Amino acid sequence: MFKINQLIASVLMLAITSLTYAADQKLVLTGSSTIAPLAVELGKRFEKLNPGVRVDVQSGGSSRGVSDARSGLADIGMASRALKDEEKDLKSFTIALDGIGVILHKDNPVKTLTDQQVIDIYTGKITNWRDVGGKDGRITVVNKAEGRSTLELFTHYYKLKNSDIKAQVVIGDNQQGIKTVAGNPGAIGYVSIGTAEFESGNGTPIKLLPMEGVAASVENVRNGSFPLSRPLNLVTKYVPMGLVKQFIDFTRSKEVADLVEAQYFVPLPH
Amino acid sequence: MDNSHQAYGQLMAWKRDHLMTLFIWLAALMVAGAFLWLLGDLLVHGATHLSWSFLVDAPENAGRAGGIGSIIVSTLLILTVAMLAAVPLGLATAVLLTEFISATSRFGRLIGMSLDVLAGVPSIVFGLFGNVFFSVYLGLGFSILSGGLTLACMALPIFINTAEAGLRAVPDEWRAGAAALGLSRGAALLHILIPAAAPALTAALLLGVGRAMAETAALIFTSGYVDRMPSSLMDSGRALSVHIYDLSMNVAGGDANAYASALILIVLLMIINGIAQSLSEKLLQRRIITA
Repeated sequence: MFKINQLIASVLMLAITSLTYAADQKLVLTGSSTIAPLAVELGKRFEKLNPGVRVDVQSGGSSRGVSDARSGLADIGMASRALKDEEKDLKSFTIALDGIGVILHKDNPVKTLTDQQVIDIYTGKITNWRDVGGKDGRITVVNKAEGRSTLELFTHYYKLKNSDIKAQVVIGDNQQGIKTVAGNPGAIGYVSIGTAEFESGNGTPIKLLPMEGVAASVENVRNGSFPLSRPLNLVTKYVPMGLVKQFIDFTRSKEVADLVEAQYFVPLPH
Repeated sequence: MDNSHQAYGQLMAWKRDHLMTLFIWLAALMVAGAFLWLLGDLLVHGATHLSWSFLVDAPENAGRAGGIGSIIVSTLLILTVAMLAAVPLGLATAVLLTEFISATSRFGRLIGMSLDVLAGVPSIVFGLFGNVFFSVYLGLGFSILSGGLTLACMALPIFINTAEAGLRAVPDEWRAGAAALGLSRGAALLHILIPAAAPALTAALLLGVGRAMAETAALIFTSGYVDRMPSSLMDSGRALSVHIYDLSMNVAGGDANAYASALILIVLLMIINGIAQSLSEKLLQRRIITA
């Protein structure tokens, strides 16, 4: 019993001392799960260059990032889309670009789909691959969950309403989309181009479809010719000052291009 | 005629018995098989990535490289907070339910019903509750403390139910005997009832630990996503389950380390199981046999 008492006492001591302890300067970022891994890496490098500063990154989705930045829960929100009209009171800063492409299973003989065909598939008007030049087989529509910015960009581009989409699978994060399509030869989904390129290059059985005749590649997102791309944004409530400004300037600088590329996104042109 | 009938009956009974045995064996094999398959899958994909440095290093490049040292520490801290909060509360409630009030009384039924409802609540609801209550309202922020306390809320119902069943299984003669010997209620509890229920209490603890270690949804919004080595309980710290989820669902090329981390999670659970079981045996022996 004595040992257990000691353990409890030491944990309590740790808790009490920890309540009085705080880092010199702390930045809290919350939001897009797409940006979160990149933000963690940006934060680590920033911490190394600025001793005494801590950058805490929390995930949860773009909508959360926007609302946390507005409520003050986060110093900086992360949103993997442009701000909407009703969010224009906030300030946004693009740190990288990302393309969104339609993916199919590698064994699917369909080589391209017109915009109208994609719309018809997602609204349930076309339910068999035979109707778009493929083999006989049911189409499994993979859609993103509500609140995900990929979904908003996709529906915006194809002028769809999410309530019109007839999906068989609803997913959250990017990798989940890739895994769902890789595991189902009849599936169609849409994901971040950078990661899809990386995965198909590493043997995952998926392929990216061109859009309006432009191949879905990181290169075409970089040169701006690919039609469906999105900015990865940091969002603040006020004009950034002090540490927040310093961090945002750092994330938009040339020195972090390698970190952006390591997460399969497209760095800003410099 | 009679003889052959009897022989036929015996044959059928023999067949029935053997079919039954076969079925039971198959069922048991399937359960063991599912576990072995899972473990084998994890071993095949994860074992080659295991090394001492994987266990102690910090994650790099969003977890694709580096190790999970800071994440193991965060996980154990979250678990400790959760158990330190849940076990005393849970044990006290279970004792109240079994020893002090009748299960059919209005208050007893109210507690029982609340526990049943709580046990069925999806973990994401606990996560959102923990975020609103611990992180925002109590001002604990994204921290190991918030995450641990949220897990404690989640593990409580299952812990109380199992502990209650264990205490009820102690025969009433023991209580009567203790009273006849002039033991106070507290002494009877401490020296007889709780040690006698030790195996069930251990099971309750293990179920709680299991639920806590496996939890992802309740932790993303409470203990958070930060993968730095925590320096206090007020720091945000990423749990193993959150790390595995992020690596497999959000980080391209993170699968290998996700497998290795999952393997570590299973090994940790097995170690905790072993420790808890040996502790309960010791408790049982020391209290009942020598006291």
